[in-house]
Amino acid sequence: MKKIVVDHLKYKYPLGEELALQDISFQIEEGEFIGIIGKNSSGKSTLCQALVGLVPHFYKGAYGGKVIVDGLEVKTHTIAEISLKVGMVFQNPFTQVTGSKMTVYEEIAFGLENIGLPREEMRRRIHEVLKLMKIEHVKDRSPFDLSGGQMQRMAIASIIAMKPDVLVLDEPTSQLDPAGSEEVFQAIQDLSGQGITVIMAEHKMEKVAQYCNRVLLLHEGKLVDFAAPEKIFSRNDLETYGVAAPVYTRVCKALGMKKQGCDSYPVTLKDAELALRGSLG
Amino acid sequence: MKSISLFVERESFVHGIDPITKLYYILFAIIIPIILPSFTISAICLGTSIILLIFAKVMRKTLPVYSFVFFVLITVVIIQGLFKPGNETVLLQLGPVAMYKEGLQFALTIVFRVTNIVSAFMILVLTTKPSDLVEALVRKGMSPRIGYVIVSVFQIIPEMMTTMSTIMDAQRSRGMETEGKLLVRIKAFIPLLGPVVLGSLINTKERAMALEVRGFNSRNPKTYLNEEKTYPNSRFIQAVMLVLTVCAVAWRMFL
Ligand SMILES: Nc1ncnc2c1ncn2[C@@H]1O[C@H](COP(=O)(O)OP(=O)(O)O)[C@@H](O)[C@H]1O
Ligand SMILES: [Mg+2]
Repeated sequence: MKKIVVDHLKYKYPLGEELALQDISFQIEEGEFIGIIGKNSSGKSTLCQALVGLVPHFYKGAYGGKVIVDGLEVKTHTIAEISLKVGMVFQNPFTQVTGSKMTVYEEIAFGLENIGLPREEMRRRIHEVLKLMKIEHVKDRSPFDLSGGQMQRMAIASIIAMKPDVLVLDEPTSQLDPAGSEEVFQAIQDLSGQGITVIMAEHKMEKVAQYCNRVLLLHEGKLVDFAAPEKIFSRNDLETYGVAAPVYTRVCKALGMKKQGCDSYPVTLKDAELALRGSLG
Repeated sequence: MKSISLFVERESFVHGIDPITKLYYILFAIIIPIILPSFTISAICLGTSIILLIFAKVMRKTLPVYSFVFFVLITVVIIQGLFKPGNETVLLQLGPVAMYKEGLQFALTIVFRVTNIVSAFMILVLTTKPSDLVEALVRKGMSPRIGYVIVSVFQIIPEMMTTMSTIMDAQRSRGMETEGKLLVRIKAFIPLLGPVVLGSLINTKERAMALEVRGFNSRNPKTYLNEEKTYPNSRFIQAVMLVLTVCAVAWRMFL
Protein backbone atom coordinates (compact mmCIF):
# COMPACT_ATOMS: atom_id res chain seq x y z
CA MET A 1 0.00 0.00 0.00
CA LYS A 2 1.22 3.49 -0.82
CA LYS A 3 1.68 5.27 2.50
CA ILE A 4 2.83 8.58 1.08
CA VAL A 5 2.14 10.05 -2.32
CA VAL A 6 3.75 13.34 -3.28
CA ASP A 7 2.52 14.63 -6.60
CA HIS A 8 4.09 17.63 -8.37
CA LEU A 9 4.70 19.44 -5.09
CA LYS A 10 5.86 23.03 -5.47
CA TYR A 11 6.37 25.40 -2.61
CA LYS A 12 7.68 28.92 -2.02
CA TYR A 13 8.15 30.45 1.44
CA PRO A 14 6.34 33.78 1.92
CA LEU A 15 9.64 35.64 2.07
CA GLY A 16 11.55 33.31 -0.22
CA GLU A 17 12.71 34.42 -3.63
CA GLU A 18 12.79 31.04 -5.28
CA LEU A 19 10.78 27.88 -4.98
CA ALA A 20 12.10 25.88 -2.03
CA LEU A 21 10.54 22.76 -3.55
CA GLN A 22 10.30 22.48 -7.31
CA ASP A 23 7.89 20.00 -8.78
CA ILE A 24 8.62 17.02 -6.54
CA SER A 25 6.91 13.68 -7.08
CA PHE A 26 7.55 10.35 -5.38
CA GLN A 27 5.78 7.55 -3.53
CA ILE A 28 6.63 5.65 -0.38
CA GLU A 29 5.37 2.20 0.64
CA GLU A 30 4.20 1.34 4.12
CA GLY A 31 7.07 0.27 6.40
CA GLU A 32 9.88 1.69 4.28
CA PHE A 33 12.84 3.47 5.88
CA ILE A 34 13.67 6.42 3.64
CA GLY A 35 16.70 8.71 3.82
CA ILE A 36 16.64 12.26 2.46
CA ILE A 37 20.05 13.62 1.53
CA GLY A 38 21.37 16.76 -0.13
CA LYS A 39 23.65 19.64 0.72
CA ASN A 40 22.60 22.50 3.01
CA SER A 41 19.58 24.49 1.84
CA SER A 42 18.65 21.84 -0.70
CA GLY A 43 15.16 21.64 0.79
CA LYS A 44 15.38 18.63 3.11
CA SER A 45 13.73 20.34 6.08
CA THR A 46 11.10 21.92 3.88
CA LEU A 47 10.19 18.55 2.40
CA CYS A 48 9.99 16.98 5.87
CA GLN A 49 7.70 19.76 7.02
CA ALA A 50 5.52 19.34 3.94
CA LEU A 51 4.76 15.79 5.10
CA VAL A 52 3.29 16.93 8.46
CA GLY A 53 1.51 19.97 7.06
CA LEU A 54 3.70 22.67 8.63
CA VAL A 55 4.25 23.48 4.96
CA PRO A 56 1.92 25.13 4.05
CA HIS A 57 -0.33 25.50 7.14
CA PHE A 58 2.22 27.00 9.52
CA TYR A 59 4.20 29.16 7.11
CA LYS A 60 1.51 29.88 4.48
CA GLY A 61 3.29 30.77 1.20
CA ALA A 62 2.63 29.54 -2.34
CA TYR A 63 1.78 25.86 -2.59
CA GLY A 64 1.04 23.66 -5.56
CA GLY A 65 0.57 19.95 -6.15
CA LYS A 66 -0.52 17.34 -3.63
CA VAL A 67 0.81 15.50 -0.62
CA ILE A 68 -1.26 12.54 0.53
CA VAL A 69 -0.28 10.73 3.70
CA ASP A 70 -2.16 7.55 4.52
CA GLY A 71 -5.07 8.72 2.38
CA LEU A 72 -5.19 12.13 4.04
CA GLU A 73 -4.57 15.14 1.83
CA VAL A 74 -2.26 17.45 3.78
CA LYS A 75 -3.55 20.64 2.22
CA THR A 76 -7.13 20.11 3.35
CA HIS A 77 -6.43 18.88 6.90
CA THR A 78 -5.19 20.68 10.00
CA ILE A 79 -1.79 19.99 11.51
CA ALA A 80 -3.56 18.58 14.59
CA GLU A 81 -5.38 16.03 12.42
CA ILE A 82 -2.25 15.11 10.49
CA SER A 83 -0.17 14.85 13.65
CA LEU A 84 -2.26 11.88 14.74
CA LYS A 85 -0.78 9.96 11.79
CA VAL A 86 2.55 11.65 11.20
CA GLY A 87 5.04 12.50 13.93
CA MET A 88 7.90 14.89 13.34
CA VAL A 89 11.17 15.32 15.20
CA PHE A 90 13.03 18.56 14.49
CA GLN A 91 16.70 19.32 14.14
CA ASN A 92 17.15 21.51 17.21
CA PRO A 93 16.30 19.55 20.35
CA PHE A 94 16.25 22.64 22.53
CA THR A 95 13.30 24.29 20.81
CA GLN A 96 11.29 21.10 21.04
CA VAL A 97 11.19 21.30 24.82
CA THR A 98 7.72 22.64 25.58
CA GLY A 99 8.90 24.67 28.55
CA SER A 100 5.75 23.91 30.48
CA LYS A 101 6.77 20.66 32.13
CA MET A 102 9.00 20.12 35.13
CA THR A 103 10.35 16.66 34.35
CA VAL A 104 11.34 14.57 31.35
CA TYR A 105 8.54 12.16 32.24
CA GLU A 106 5.91 14.91 32.15
CA GLU A 107 7.47 16.41 29.04
CA ILE A 108 6.90 13.18 27.13
CA ALA A 109 3.31 13.18 28.38
CA PHE A 110 2.61 16.59 26.82
CA GLY A 111 1.57 15.26 23.40
CA LEU A 112 -0.34 12.37 24.96
CA GLU A 113 -2.38 14.72 27.13
CA ASN A 114 -3.22 16.79 24.08
CA ILE A 115 -4.54 13.85 22.13
CA GLY A 116 -6.56 12.78 25.15
CA LEU A 117 -5.08 9.39 26.05
CA PRO A 118 -6.24 7.71 29.25
CA ARG A 119 -3.74 7.95 32.11
CA GLU A 120 -2.85 4.25 32.26
CA GLU A 121 -2.08 4.14 28.54
CA MET A 122 0.05 7.26 28.89
CA ARG A 123 2.13 5.74 31.66
CA ARG A 124 2.58 2.52 29.71
CA ARG A 125 3.75 4.34 26.59
CA ILE A 126 6.07 6.71 28.44
CA HIS A 127 7.70 3.79 30.19
CA GLU A 128 8.16 2.05 26.84
CA VAL A 129 9.75 5.00 25.03
CA LEU A 130 12.00 5.93 27.95
CA LYS A 131 13.39 2.42 27.68
CA LEU A 132 13.58 2.44 23.89
CA MET A 133 15.51 5.73 23.83
CA LYS A 134 17.59 4.77 26.89
CA ILE A 135 16.75 7.81 28.99
CA GLU A 136 15.05 6.10 31.95
CA HIS A 137 17.77 7.36 34.29
CA VAL A 138 16.93 11.03 33.61
CA LYS A 139 13.15 10.74 33.75
CA ASP A 140 12.81 12.91 36.86
CA ARG A 141 15.20 15.65 35.73
CA SER A 142 14.18 19.00 34.33
CA PRO A 143 14.03 18.80 30.51
CA PHE A 144 16.35 21.80 30.29
CA ASP A 145 19.03 20.17 32.44
CA LEU A 146 19.85 17.48 29.88
CA SER A 147 22.81 17.23 27.53
CA GLY A 148 22.16 17.92 23.83
CA GLY A 149 22.18 14.20 23.10
CA GLN A 150 19.76 13.36 25.92
CA MET A 151 17.48 16.18 24.81
CA GLN A 152 17.49 14.75 21.31
CA ARG A 153 16.56 11.33 22.65
CA MET A 154 13.78 12.92 24.68
CA ALA A 155 12.48 14.75 21.59
CA ILE A 156 12.35 11.49 19.66
CA ALA A 157 10.75 9.69 22.61
CA SER A 158 8.07 12.38 22.89
CA ILE A 159 7.02 11.82 19.30
CA ILE A 160 7.31 8.04 19.28
CA ALA A 161 5.07 7.90 22.35
CA MET A 162 2.28 9.37 20.22
CA LYS A 163 2.55 6.21 18.07
CA PRO A 164 2.37 7.80 14.63
CA ASP A 165 2.11 5.58 11.54
CA VAL A 166 4.67 7.73 9.83
CA LEU A 167 7.75 9.10 11.58
CA VAL A 168 9.56 12.07 10.02
CA LEU A 169 12.95 12.96 11.50
CA ASP A 170 15.00 16.00 10.49
CA GLU A 171 18.67 15.35 11.31
CA PRO A 172 17.73 13.77 14.63
CA THR A 173 21.24 12.73 15.66
CA SER A 174 23.15 15.99 15.15
CA GLN A 175 23.91 16.30 18.88
CA LEU A 176 24.75 12.67 19.49
CA ASP A 177 28.17 11.07 19.55
CA PRO A 178 28.83 8.12 17.19
CA ALA A 179 27.79 5.53 19.78
CA GLY A 180 24.65 7.51 20.61
CA SER A 181 23.75 7.90 16.93
CA GLU A 182 24.14 4.18 16.42
CA GLU A 183 21.78 3.45 19.33
CA VAL A 184 19.19 5.88 18.01
CA PHE A 185 19.39 4.43 14.49
CA GLN A 186 18.97 0.94 15.94
CA ALA A 187 15.90 2.04 17.88
CA ILE A 188 14.38 3.66 14.81
CA GLN A 189 15.12 0.58 12.76
CA ASP A 190 13.22 -1.46 15.37
CA LEU A 191 10.22 0.79 14.87
CA SER A 192 10.57 0.49 11.13
CA GLY A 193 10.58 -3.27 11.60
CA GLN A 194 7.24 -2.96 13.42
CA GLY A 195 5.74 -1.44 10.28
CA ILE A 196 6.17 2.28 10.95
CA THR A 197 7.13 4.23 7.87
CA VAL A 198 10.26 6.28 8.56
CA ILE A 199 11.53 9.30 6.64
CA MET A 200 14.77 10.83 7.83
CA ALA A 201 16.86 13.75 6.59
CA GLU A 202 20.43 12.95 7.52
CA HIS A 203 24.03 13.96 6.82
CA LYS A 204 25.74 10.83 8.07
CA MET A 205 25.94 8.90 4.81
CA GLU A 206 27.35 5.72 6.31
CA LYS A 207 24.24 5.50 8.49
CA VAL A 208 21.90 6.31 5.62
CA ALA A 209 23.54 3.62 3.52
CA GLN A 210 23.33 1.07 6.33
CA TYR A 211 19.77 1.64 7.48
CA CYS A 212 17.69 3.07 4.66
CA ASN A 213 15.77 1.02 2.10
CA ARG A 214 15.77 3.90 -0.33
CA VAL A 215 17.43 7.30 -0.54
CA LEU A 216 15.97 10.50 -1.90
CA LEU A 217 18.56 12.93 -3.26
CA LEU A 218 17.58 16.60 -3.31
CA HIS A 219 19.40 19.45 -4.98
CA GLU A 220 18.26 23.07 -4.93
CA GLY A 221 14.68 22.07 -4.28
CA LYS A 222 14.56 19.45 -7.03
CA LEU A 223 14.40 15.72 -6.71
CA VAL A 224 17.48 14.33 -8.44
CA ASP A 225 17.04 10.65 -7.75
CA PHE A 226 15.12 8.30 -5.50
CA ALA A 227 16.53 4.80 -5.40
CA ALA A 228 18.33 2.15 -3.36
CA PRO A 229 21.41 3.40 -1.47
CA GLU A 230 23.78 1.40 -3.72
CA LYS A 231 22.37 3.08 -6.77
CA ILE A 232 22.42 6.61 -5.33
CA PHE A 233 25.91 6.38 -3.90
CA SER A 234 27.31 4.79 -7.06
CA ARG A 235 26.38 7.84 -9.10
CA ASN A 236 29.35 9.50 -10.71
CA ASP A 237 27.89 13.00 -10.42
CA LEU A 238 27.35 12.81 -6.65
CA GLU A 239 29.88 15.53 -5.91
CA THR A 240 28.10 18.07 -8.09
CA TYR A 241 25.23 17.79 -5.61
CA GLY A 242 27.50 18.45 -2.66
CA VAL A 243 27.13 14.94 -1.26
CA ALA A 244 29.97 12.56 -0.43
CA ALA A 245 29.30 8.84 -0.67
CA PRO A 246 30.03 6.67 2.40
CA VAL A 247 33.72 6.10 2.91
CA TYR A 248 33.38 2.39 2.01
CA THR A 249 31.88 3.29 -1.34
CA ARG A 250 34.62 5.79 -2.07
CA VAL A 251 37.33 3.22 -1.31
CA CYS A 252 35.69 0.54 -3.46
CA LYS A 253 35.16 3.04 -6.25
CA ALA A 254 38.83 3.98 -6.16
CA LEU A 255 39.70 0.29 -6.35
CA GLY A 256 37.10 -0.28 -9.06
CA MET A 257 35.42 -2.98 -7.00
CA LYS A 258 31.70 -3.41 -7.60
CA LYS A 259 29.27 -5.29 -5.42
CA GLN A 260 29.18 -8.93 -6.42
CA GLY A 261 26.66 -9.69 -9.10
CA CYS A 262 25.49 -6.15 -9.72
CA ASP A 263 26.49 -2.89 -11.28
CA SER A 264 26.87 -0.73 -8.20
CA TYR A 265 29.47 -0.20 -5.53
CA PRO A 266 29.12 -1.46 -1.96
CA VAL A 267 27.78 1.13 0.49
CA THR A 268 28.21 -0.60 3.84
CA LEU A 269 31.21 -2.02 5.64
CA LYS A 270 29.81 -5.51 5.31
CA ASP A 271 29.30 -5.33 1.55
CA ALA A 272 32.67 -3.68 1.04
CA GLU A 273 34.30 -6.49 2.99
CA LEU A 274 32.45 -9.10 0.92
CA ALA A 275 33.47 -7.44 -2.33
CA LEU A 276 37.08 -7.15 -1.23
CA ARG A 277 37.29 -10.75 -0.02
CA GLY A 278 35.61 -11.89 -3.23
CA SER A 279 38.17 -10.11 -5.38
CA LEU A 280 41.05 -11.43 -3.34
CA GLY A 281 39.93 -14.93 -4.12
CA MET B 1 16.40 23.91 38.85
CA LYS B 2 16.54 27.52 37.74
CA SER B 3 13.28 29.31 38.05
CA ILE B 4 11.99 32.82 38.35
CA SER B 5 9.04 31.77 40.40
CA LEU B 6 9.06 32.77 44.06
CA PHE B 7 7.65 29.42 45.12
CA VAL B 8 9.35 27.96 48.19
CA GLU B 9 9.21 24.21 48.55
CA ARG B 10 8.30 23.43 52.18
CA GLU B 11 6.27 20.95 54.11
CA SER B 12 3.35 22.77 55.65
CA PHE B 13 -0.41 22.62 55.77
CA VAL B 14 -0.54 25.90 53.85
CA HIS B 15 1.35 24.28 50.97
CA GLY B 16 -1.24 21.53 51.03
CA ILE B 17 -4.21 23.81 50.46
CA ASP B 18 -5.42 23.83 46.90
CA PRO B 19 -4.51 26.80 44.66
CA ILE B 20 -8.12 27.69 43.95
CA THR B 21 -8.87 28.06 47.66
CA LYS B 22 -5.87 30.36 47.96
CA LEU B 23 -7.27 32.44 45.12
CA TYR B 24 -10.57 32.67 47.00
CA TYR B 25 -8.63 33.68 50.07
CA ILE B 26 -7.16 36.66 48.20
CA LEU B 27 -10.65 37.70 47.21
CA PHE B 28 -11.81 37.21 50.81
CA ALA B 29 -8.94 39.30 52.20
CA ILE B 30 -9.82 42.10 49.79
CA ILE B 31 -13.58 42.27 50.29
CA ILE B 32 -13.91 41.74 54.03
CA PRO B 33 -12.19 45.05 54.93
CA ILE B 34 -14.33 46.74 52.28
CA ILE B 35 -17.54 45.38 53.78
CA LEU B 36 -16.41 46.14 57.33
CA PRO B 37 -14.08 49.12 57.13
CA SER B 38 -12.85 49.11 60.72
CA PHE B 39 -9.30 48.97 62.03
CA THR B 40 -9.94 45.90 64.10
CA ILE B 41 -11.24 43.88 61.16
CA SER B 42 -8.33 44.91 58.91
CA ALA B 43 -5.89 44.05 61.67
CA ILE B 44 -7.53 40.63 62.19
CA CYS B 45 -7.32 39.88 58.44
CA LEU B 46 -3.70 40.94 58.28
CA GLY B 47 -2.91 38.96 61.41
CA THR B 48 -4.49 35.84 59.90
CA SER B 49 -2.39 36.16 56.72
CA ILE B 50 0.79 36.66 58.69
CA ILE B 51 0.08 33.67 60.90
CA LEU B 52 -0.50 31.57 57.76
CA LEU B 53 2.79 32.81 56.27
CA ILE B 54 4.57 31.86 59.49
CA PHE B 55 3.01 28.39 59.48
CA ALA B 56 4.11 28.03 55.85
CA LYS B 57 7.70 28.76 56.98
CA VAL B 58 8.15 31.35 54.27
CA MET B 59 8.38 34.46 56.45
CA ARG B 60 11.96 35.16 55.39
CA LYS B 61 11.00 35.32 51.74
CA THR B 62 8.33 37.89 52.54
CA LEU B 63 10.73 40.38 54.08
CA PRO B 64 12.04 41.91 50.83
CA VAL B 65 8.47 42.27 49.59
CA TYR B 66 7.28 43.83 52.83
CA SER B 67 10.26 46.21 52.89
CA PHE B 68 9.44 47.38 49.40
CA VAL B 69 5.78 47.83 50.24
CA PHE B 70 6.56 49.76 53.43
CA PHE B 71 8.98 51.96 51.57
CA VAL B 72 6.18 52.97 49.23
CA LEU B 73 3.61 53.27 52.01
CA ILE B 74 5.72 55.45 54.26
CA THR B 75 5.49 58.22 51.69
CA VAL B 76 1.70 57.84 51.74
CA VAL B 77 1.71 58.17 55.53
CA ILE B 78 3.86 61.29 55.45
CA ILE B 79 1.93 63.01 52.69
CA GLN B 80 -1.49 62.22 54.17
CA GLY B 81 -0.33 63.08 57.70
CA LEU B 82 0.93 66.46 56.61
CA PHE B 83 -1.39 67.57 53.85
CA LYS B 84 -4.70 65.68 53.85
CA PRO B 85 -7.57 68.18 53.39
CA GLY B 86 -9.60 68.08 56.60
CA ASN B 87 -6.57 67.71 58.83
CA GLU B 88 -7.47 69.39 62.15
CA THR B 89 -6.07 67.70 65.23
CA VAL B 90 -2.34 68.22 65.51
CA LEU B 91 -0.65 65.11 66.81
CA LEU B 92 2.98 66.08 66.54
CA GLN B 93 4.62 69.42 65.99
CA LEU B 94 8.19 69.65 64.68
CA GLY B 95 9.01 73.31 64.17
CA PRO B 96 6.81 74.53 61.31
CA VAL B 97 5.77 70.99 60.33
CA ALA B 98 2.67 69.43 61.87
CA MET B 99 1.41 65.84 61.70
CA TYR B 100 -2.37 65.54 61.86
CA LYS B 101 -4.45 62.77 63.39
CA GLU B 102 -7.08 62.58 60.61
CA GLY B 103 -4.49 62.22 57.87
CA LEU B 104 -2.58 59.57 59.82
CA GLN B 105 -5.71 57.58 60.49
CA PHE B 106 -6.66 57.64 56.83
CA ALA B 107 -3.11 56.66 55.83
CA LEU B 108 -3.13 53.79 58.30
CA THR B 109 -6.30 52.39 56.75
CA ILE B 110 -4.58 52.39 53.39
CA VAL B 111 -1.46 50.79 54.86
CA PHE B 112 -3.53 47.99 56.40
CA ARG B 113 -5.50 47.39 53.21
CA VAL B 114 -2.44 47.24 50.98
CA THR B 115 -0.39 45.06 53.32
CA ASN B 116 -3.38 42.85 53.71
CA ILE B 117 -3.74 42.29 49.96
CA VAL B 118 0.00 41.86 49.48
CA SER B 119 0.09 39.25 52.25
CA ALA B 120 -2.78 37.29 50.78
CA PHE B 121 -1.05 37.29 47.39
CA MET B 122 2.17 36.13 48.98
CA ILE B 123 0.42 33.15 50.53
CA LEU B 124 -0.55 32.12 47.01
CA VAL B 125 2.73 32.94 45.28
CA LEU B 126 5.15 31.63 47.88
CA THR B 127 3.38 28.38 48.68
CA THR B 128 2.01 27.31 45.29
CA LYS B 129 3.94 25.82 42.39
CA PRO B 130 3.01 27.95 39.36
CA SER B 131 2.34 24.82 37.33
CA ASP B 132 -0.06 23.50 40.01
CA LEU B 133 -1.97 26.76 39.98
CA VAL B 134 -2.24 26.79 36.19
CA GLU B 135 -3.19 23.13 36.02
CA ALA B 136 -5.92 23.74 38.59
CA LEU B 137 -7.21 26.67 36.54
CA VAL B 138 -7.10 24.74 33.25
CA ARG B 139 -9.09 21.94 34.87
CA LYS B 140 -11.59 24.58 35.94
CA GLY B 141 -11.94 25.60 32.30
CA MET B 142 -9.21 28.13 31.59
CA SER B 143 -7.86 27.88 28.03
CA PRO B 144 -4.87 25.50 27.90
CA ARG B 145 -3.13 27.95 25.55
CA ILE B 146 -3.19 30.73 28.12
CA GLY B 147 -2.13 28.21 30.72
CA TYR B 148 0.79 27.13 28.55
CA VAL B 149 1.96 30.70 28.04
CA ILE B 150 1.91 31.42 31.77
CA VAL B 151 3.77 28.28 32.76
CA SER B 152 6.33 28.42 29.98
CA VAL B 153 7.25 31.99 30.79
CA PHE B 154 8.41 30.75 34.19
CA GLN B 155 10.80 28.32 32.53
CA ILE B 156 11.84 30.04 29.37
CA ILE B 157 12.87 33.38 30.86
CA PRO B 158 15.51 31.75 33.07
CA GLU B 159 16.74 29.96 29.95
CA MET B 160 17.09 33.31 28.19
CA MET B 161 19.03 34.63 31.14
CA THR B 162 21.37 31.65 30.93
CA THR B 163 21.95 32.37 27.23
CA MET B 164 22.63 35.97 28.10
CA SER B 165 25.23 35.11 30.72
CA THR B 166 26.88 32.59 28.39
CA ILE B 167 27.34 35.29 25.76
CA MET B 168 28.51 37.73 28.43
CA ASP B 169 31.13 35.22 29.58
CA ALA B 170 32.29 34.74 26.01
CA GLN B 171 32.62 38.47 25.54
CA ARG B 172 34.46 38.92 28.81
CA SER B 173 36.91 36.21 27.81
CA ARG B 174 37.59 38.21 24.68
CA GLY B 175 38.46 41.20 26.79
CA MET B 176 35.23 43.13 26.75
CA GLU B 177 34.43 44.97 29.94
CA THR B 178 31.13 43.83 31.32
CA GLU B 179 31.37 44.95 34.92
CA GLY B 180 31.79 48.17 36.77
CA LYS B 181 30.07 51.46 36.06
CA LEU B 182 26.50 51.48 34.87
CA LEU B 183 27.48 52.91 31.50
CA VAL B 184 30.03 50.16 30.96
CA ARG B 185 27.42 47.57 31.80
CA ILE B 186 24.89 49.07 29.46
CA LYS B 187 27.44 49.19 26.67
CA ALA B 188 28.20 45.52 27.23
CA PHE B 189 24.51 44.68 27.33
CA ILE B 190 23.34 46.31 24.10
CA PRO B 191 25.16 44.07 21.61
CA LEU B 192 23.55 41.10 23.35
CA LEU B 193 20.04 42.21 22.63
CA GLY B 194 20.39 41.42 18.93
CA PRO B 195 21.37 37.75 19.21
CA VAL B 196 19.29 37.03 22.30
CA VAL B 197 16.11 38.66 21.04
CA LEU B 198 16.53 37.35 17.50
CA GLY B 199 17.49 33.97 18.87
CA SER B 200 14.42 33.78 21.03
CA LEU B 201 12.17 34.90 18.17
CA ILE B 202 13.50 32.07 16.02
CA ASN B 203 13.17 29.76 19.01
CA THR B 204 9.61 30.87 19.50
CA LYS B 205 8.77 30.02 15.90
CA GLU B 206 10.43 26.63 16.11
CA ARG B 207 8.84 25.91 19.48
CA ALA B 208 5.44 26.81 18.08
CA MET B 209 5.96 24.27 15.30
CA ALA B 210 7.08 21.62 17.76
CA LEU B 211 3.95 22.26 19.83
CA GLU B 212 1.75 21.96 16.74
CA VAL B 213 3.01 18.51 15.85
CA ARG B 214 2.44 17.41 19.43
CA GLY B 215 -1.23 18.08 19.07
CA PHE B 216 -1.34 21.34 20.99
CA ASN B 217 -4.25 22.53 18.85
CA SER B 218 -5.99 19.20 18.87
CA ARG B 219 -9.74 19.35 19.39
CA ASN B 220 -9.77 16.12 21.35
CA PRO B 221 -10.70 16.68 24.97
CA LYS B 222 -7.46 16.91 26.92
CA THR B 223 -6.45 14.38 29.55
CA TYR B 224 -3.93 14.77 32.37
CA LEU B 225 -0.95 12.66 33.32
CA ASN B 226 -1.23 13.59 36.97
CA GLU B 227 -4.35 12.74 38.83
CA GLU B 228 -6.25 15.76 39.99
CA LYS B 229 -4.89 16.50 43.41
CA THR B 230 -7.57 16.20 46.00
CA TYR B 231 -7.46 18.63 48.84
CA PRO B 232 -9.70 17.31 51.60
CA ASN B 233 -10.03 20.62 53.43
CA SER B 234 -10.65 22.93 50.51
CA ARG B 235 -14.46 22.62 50.54
CA PHE B 236 -14.53 23.25 54.27
CA ILE B 237 -12.21 26.27 54.08
CA GLN B 238 -14.14 27.73 51.17
CA ALA B 239 -17.39 27.22 53.06
CA VAL B 240 -16.01 28.95 56.15
CA MET B 241 -14.90 31.92 54.08
CA LEU B 242 -18.30 32.11 52.44
CA VAL B 243 -20.11 32.00 55.79
CA LEU B 244 -17.82 34.68 57.22
CA THR B 245 -18.46 36.89 54.20
CA VAL B 246 -22.22 36.47 54.57
CA CYS B 247 -21.94 37.28 58.30
CA ALA B 248 -19.91 40.37 57.48
CA VAL B 249 -22.55 41.58 55.05
CA ALA B 250 -25.30 40.89 57.61
CA TRP B 251 -23.37 42.70 60.33
CA ARG B 252 -22.93 45.69 58.06
CA MET B 253 -26.60 45.82 57.11
CA PHE B 254 -28.29 45.14 60.44
CA LEU B 255 -25.98 46.42 63.16
N1 LIG C 1 11.29 30.25 6.87
C1 LIG C 1 11.86 30.41 5.67
N2 LIG C 1 11.58 31.50 4.93
C2 LIG C 1 12.13 31.68 3.70
N3 LIG C 1 12.97 30.80 3.12
C3 LIG C 1 13.30 29.69 3.80
C4 LIG C 1 12.77 29.44 5.11
N4 LIG C 1 13.27 28.26 5.55
C5 LIG C 1 14.07 27.81 4.57
N5 LIG C 1 14.10 28.65 3.52
C6 LIG C 1 14.83 28.47 2.26
O1 LIG C 1 14.37 27.30 1.63
C7 LIG C 1 15.46 26.56 1.07
C8 LIG C 1 15.48 25.15 1.63
O2 LIG C 1 15.80 25.21 3.00
P1 LIG C 1 15.77 23.94 3.96
O3 LIG C 1 14.56 23.16 3.65
O4 LIG C 1 15.94 24.42 5.34
O5 LIG C 1 17.07 23.13 3.48
P2 LIG C 1 17.91 22.01 4.22
O6 LIG C 1 17.12 21.48 5.34
O7 LIG C 1 18.19 21.01 3.16
O8 LIG C 1 19.18 22.66 4.69
C9 LIG C 1 16.72 27.36 1.36
O9 LIG C 1 17.06 28.11 0.23
C10 LIG C 1 16.30 28.27 2.49
O10 LIG C 1 17.02 29.47 2.43
MG1 LIG D 1 17.54 21.42 7.43
